[in-house]
Amino acid sequence: MNFTQQLVNGIVLGHAYALIAIGWTVLLGVARLVNFGHGQMYMLGAFVTWYGVSRLGLPYFVAIPVAMLVGVAVGYVMQRVMLQLTLKQDLVSIMIVTLGFGYVLHGAAALFFGSTGQILETPFSTKDIYWGDLWFTYQDIAIVIVAILFFAVLKYVIDRTRIGRLARMVAEDPQLAQLAGVNVRRVYLGVFAFEGAAVALAAALVAPRTPILTSMGFDEVIITFVVVVLGGIGSVTGSYVAGLALGLFTAFFGAFVSPAYATAAAFAVLIAVLVVRPGGLAVSPGGR
Amino acid sequence: MNSGIKTVLFAALAVIGFFVPTLLGGSGAVYAACVLIAIFAVMSYGLDIVVSDLGEVSLAHTVFFAVGAYTTALLSVSAGLGPVLSLAGAILMVLLVAAALGFVTLQLREFVFSLVTYAVAVVAATIAQNWDFLGGSDGLRGIPAFELSWLGFKARNDQELWPVAYLLLLVAIYLVSAFRRSKLGQAAMMVHLNQRLAVTSGVDPQRIRLQVFLVSAPITASAGWLYAYQRAYISADVLETYFLILMLTAVVVMGRRLLLGPLLGVALIQIQEKFFSFGGYVDKIILGSVLILTLAFLPNGLFGVVAPLRNLFIRRATPVGKTIPERS
Repeated sequence: MNFTQQLVNGIVLGHAYALIAIGWTVLLGVARLVNFGHGQMYMLGAFVTWYGVSRLGLPYFVAIPVAMLVGVAVGYVMQRVMLQLTLKQDLVSIMIVTLGFGYVLHGAAALFFGSTGQILETPFSTKDIYWGDLWFTYQDIAIVIVAILFFAVLKYVIDRTRIGRLARMVAEDPQLAQLAGVNVRRVYLGVFAFEGAAVALAAALVAPRTPILTSMGFDEVIITFVVVVLGGIGSVTGSYVAGLALGLFTAFFGAFVSPAYATAAAFAVLIAVLVVRPGGLAVSPGGR
Repeated sequence: MNSGIKTVLFAALAVIGFFVPTLLGGSGAVYAACVLIAIFAVMSYGLDIVVSDLGEVSLAHTVFFAVGAYTTALLSVSAGLGPVLSLAGAILMVLLVAAALGFVTLQLREFVFSLVTYAVAVVAATIAQNWDFLGGSDGLRGIPAFELSWLGFKARNDQELWPVAYLLLLVAIYLVSAFRRSKLGQAAMMVHLNQRLAVTSGVDPQRIRLQVFLVSAPITASAGWLYAYQRAYISADVLETYFLILMLTAVVVMGRRLLLGPLLGVALIQIQEKFFSFGGYVDKIILGSVLILTLAFLPNGLFGVVAPLRNLFIRRATPVGKTIPERS
């Protein structure tokens, strides 16, 4: 295990983390909402893609939009059910409800897809690239490219377009936004549908790297937490940087210390930052 | 209601409660279910005062449950200690863990607090699965039967363990009701409903939160203590999301701040899972759905549906002016 190889692994892993966290970042930064079912939605995205490719025989490029559509539907239904809580800004209840949704998704996915581990194979993940003594796959390149593009487009949309302004306005002051004629419900539903699509896309791209299990949502979400909190809650650029940093950290920690405790170590970093800068991490809603 | 009549009623209820398994036929399955209901209810009561009174969602209570169970397993298997000492050890250990966690999360509120506590639960699960000291993925086996030799008491099965479980349940319920009447409980409510008022009244919200945490954790840990004896082995599955969802559902399903709410909630869930099960995955969907539907559509829980008349006399739950939570 040489240093450069770990650097490559870390960069790929970092872009994967950032991509997985993007839905949460938007949810939090733009609408001040949380979703503890994020990990299970990631799991669902991975399994829908897997089912499309290996059971229905769909091409990978068709299975991705299908998974994203399922993600949109799940996100929409979730937000539709808890719309009253969202309008009341009852974050405590929203947290528990989304946790409940995650649990339901886990049960439903295990019922439908079975509880055995699967491998999601894509046209890219089986093609290796050797460059000197470095090794990676075309899937890794796809992850990095899509993550960079996604973040660039997202930043542009949030900062520069009407949709982005509306969403930020709703985050800043839902009541005022409503008075100004913004359809607050639609913004909330839209943001949650976006979260569903974003996490499904991330799952379709990232899940081929490791075996997938219906129970994986539980730990998967923790990386997202760390990325979102370290990046400055809800900040798009911050999430990208934090994702990348966390990826590098995990790669090196896994290679040189212990892969089993890599998640625990990432969490220890989070705790350390929270103790040192408890209040300094949060930025104002809609902040970039 | 007059408090004297209330006490007598509760005492009568407590005596009747003890004979519930006998009244239900007294079979092994009934005793097993009753013991588990008592244990999980005690576990939920710990979370109840954090969620219902303090108004924060701690997702680390499975960790407290696991700390209680693992400490008991280690002390009774490796050190050969009896139930009294293992309970003392479990409480001491969980106080340390809760103090550390409370200290780290002192400044955090709302979702960041929940997020960190959830992360603690995930990390605890990875540690329990990987650390050989805790038995790794095999867990710890061979926990001896619950035995108090100085009383000549030995519980070899669920029927014999029932008095212990029931006593633990009564103690937990008493502690929760005493907490609600105490200064700390009232301060917690004030911090929950109006933090600014609390601060101006000389209440330090951070101290109150830490203290509530330290009251709550041993209650949940003592459930873990008895669970270790009931199952005779402990593995990382005590940290599964199931326990978390079970606790949260039990706390909210009947209605918050009802003294018997968590007990009835746990009983409903366990009866469904033990006697009307549709298989593990469907049960998961049912449990999660109950949690979602209660919070989304029944803000006052099931009790709020069956007793709508009572609501006429209760003041509006959400104050009119309350809109956006404070940004921190």
